[in-house]
Amino acid sequence: MRFAAAALLVCLFASAAGAKGAPSFRELEESLTCQCGCGLTVHACNHLACPSAVPLREEIRAQMQLGKSEEEILAYFAGKYGEKILSAPTASGFNLAAWVTPFLALGVGGGIVAVALMRWRRRGEAMAAEQSPAISVPRYREIFEREIEKFSE
Amino acid sequence: MADIGSLAIAAACALSLYAVLISVIGARLRNANFIASGERGVLAIWALTALATALLLRALVGHDFRIEYVASYTSSTLPLPYRIAALWGGMKGSLLFWVLVLSSIAATVVLQNRDRNRELMPYVSAVLMAVAFFFLLLLVFLEPPFERLAFTPADGRDLNPLLQNYWMTLHPPSLYLGYVGVSVPYAFAIAALITGRLGDEWIRTTRRWTLFAWFFLTLGNLFGALWAYLVLGWGGYWAWDPVENAAFMPWLTTTAFLHSVMIQEKKNMLKVWNMVLVILSFLLTIFGTFLTRSGVISSVHSFTQSGLGPFFMGFLLLALVGSAGLLLWRLPLLRSENELDSLLSRESAFLLNNLILVGMCFATFWGTVFPVLSEWVRGVKITVGPPFFNKVNAPLGLVLLFLTGAGPVIAWRRASARNLRRNFAGPLALGAAVAAGLAAFGVRNGYALASFGLCAFVLATIAMEFFRGVRARQALLGESALRALVRLVAKNRRRYGGYVIHVGVVMVFLAITGTAAFRQEQQVTLEKGQSFSLGGYTLRYEGVDTSDSPHVATIAARIAVFRDGRQVEVLLPEKRFYKKPEQPTTEVAIRSTLGSDLYLVLGSYDDGSGVATIQAYLNPLVRFLAYGGVVMAIGMGIVIWPSAAEQRERAWAMRAVPARELEAP
Repeated sequence: MRFAAAALLVCLFASAAGAKGAPSFRELEESLTCQCGCGLTVHACNHLACPSAVPLREEIRAQMQLGKSEEEILAYFAGKYGEKILSAPTASGFNLAAWVTPFLALGVGGGIVAVALMRWRRRGEAMAAEQSPAISVPRYREIFEREIEKFSE
Repeated sequence: MADIGSLAIAAACALSLYAVLISVIGARLRNANFIASGERGVLAIWALTALATALLLRALVGHDFRIEYVASYTSSTLPLPYRIAALWGGMKGSLLFWVLVLSSIAATVVLQNRDRNRELMPYVSAVLMAVAFFFLLLLVFLEPPFERLAFTPADGRDLNPLLQNYWMTLHPPSLYLGYVGVSVPYAFAIAALITGRLGDEWIRTTRRWTLFAWFFLTLGNLFGALWAYLVLGWGGYWAWDPVENAAFMPWLTTTAFLHSVMIQEKKNMLKVWNMVLVILSFLLTIFGTFLTRSGVISSVHSFTQSGLGPFFMGFLLLALVGSAGLLLWRLPLLRSENELDSLLSRESAFLLNNLILVGMCFATFWGTVFPVLSEWVRGVKITVGPPFFNKVNAPLGLVLLFLTGAGPVIAWRRASARNLRRNFAGPLALGAAVAAGLAAFGVRNGYALASFGLCAFVLATIAMEFFRGVRARQALLGESALRALVRLVAKNRRRYGGYVIHVGVVMVFLAITGTAAFRQEQQVTLEKGQSFSLGGYTLRYEGVDTSDSPHVATIAARIAVFRDGRQVEVLLPEKRFYKKPEQPTTEVAIRSTLGSDLYLVLGSYDDGSGVATIQAYLNPLVRFLAYGGVVMAIGMGIVIWPSAAEQRERAWAMRAVPARELEAP
């Protein structure tokens, strides 16, 4: 069972890490926002004669042929059209806040939950010891729990 | 007629203010007549808004183009269902519809509680009517639906073609019912805070309403996704558009509330947190309305844009400050003696579930408002698009999926090692086997492997729960398997209905994973008779069909679809040209099977050469989005259906009424 859990976790984290390689046309298309007002990425915009997506795709191809890396190509587009063309915030400067804050909040929330749980458990243990000394004796407690479990089956 | 409509709205507006004041005064002075007057006010407001809505519908259906709203959103050729749906197709009508839904719900709440919750009710009426008053003020002074034009145009400007789809009749009403439904638990929560009756009275009373709101929010979101899939023609169904996010966020907090409320019911814990979740859900529904209508953040839902933004912002701030103030004031009363037997318990699992759901809500909120923030701080416009939301929410979604399976099988109070082994070993092994099997078949996408593995895990835990329950009944009572299953569910509707809803959730995850990880697509330009292939299909372009009517002209490409050399279907992706707004749209053609959708878009067609450009998508498992919705609806039906015990209780309550009335002077 531990192995199975570990395997699932590995899948999860492996996927989160992601793989880096040469820039693909599709990835670049998805990293840029179409400026025609459709609100979609250049990849998703399906207006055939779209005045924005079609020339942008050509521009992506031209940039790829120059042998640039993904970062360089995206920097080129951001420089030319402004940062709003990137479909996600960059991971630098103030924009870092976009990426970090949700996880920071989750971490803080998780911390609060953890502290609360610990405190409640201490209180729960204290209450249990106070109310029924018999059950707090480990041996009896175990028997009690086994009975309860059998009952709930 | 239009004058009567305007008058009805004005009267409802004045009456809603009266209902707020008289209810609060009645509660303060303990004057039953005042309180009753407030409740009659609620019913009268319902009647008045119903009248106004009926009159506007009559104008819409009857082509009364003197009225600006009718001329702006319908035309003489618009089919009847869309003339009716035009009620929520523009700002003025949709505000009126909103008030109608709100006052209908408020009237229902008043009628339900004539003999219950008498202490809370005046404040419940007051809160609901205060919300109605705000919307009615907008209708009277800023967006009068019955406003007349100085002249009568020969024809209307027609409904936005993107809205002329059958989902238009379903998606907005569902979402409105969900949005407005949230105000019932909110109103009861505020009433509980004001009166200090903070036991589980308000929670028990609003349980059904919360489920009602959650159900319609779920449907609203799913319907919206299915609609976008059909209408926007880019092969997807969810683009993390600000307004999609606005509908998604209250769903997340309501889902969190539905789970954490069980801890309050069972262990009298988390009273403050539950209040926070209810208030947050309500504020998010108002925030969603603000997003749709303010134009602050650009969105595909700009149909109802206007200058109302500042008013919604003001109302939002007022509600935020008022609710937070009340909560802080009552904090001493809300403190509960929280205690926990073990860290490994259902209670902890629910807290983790809440953390993830609210975390996803915050991440979505953050990404939605970050462009505005960036402009304030740096003066630079940026875009926060799908890649951001997918990257941030996907890992959280997977943890949530794991908890969907794990939470319900961890014992309340304390899970023993034996309990864990018994409930987790099998499902985890199955989940890992599925992931490993898929990896062996060449699936390399880590997210997809994790997601499919977890889906198998969750389904296995649920199947095990049903199996064990049925077997226990069979052993104890000697029932047949089918009878045992029916009885099992009937006796524990909440638990097993909840499991059914979880199955629906898993199906939605299957759809999301299938389309996110395995979509195939191709764009081809074809001459008549040429073919191409995609994912086992061969598609041959056989020419075009055209049709023309005064309302719309269409051109459809005939695409013969072959599988294993045999023709299985002819698909007709269309380009449409709506004549009144002079706007072209795409009408996709879809061949659906359980495994995948073949989704075709006619990009362009050249009349001279007969050459057509086709975009073809193969969307694996996308149907499970709809099936998952159906399963969730079934689960919801099981949960919400009154149990035998509740029915008995209600029957007693009904019998008790005449006796009390006799006592009255």
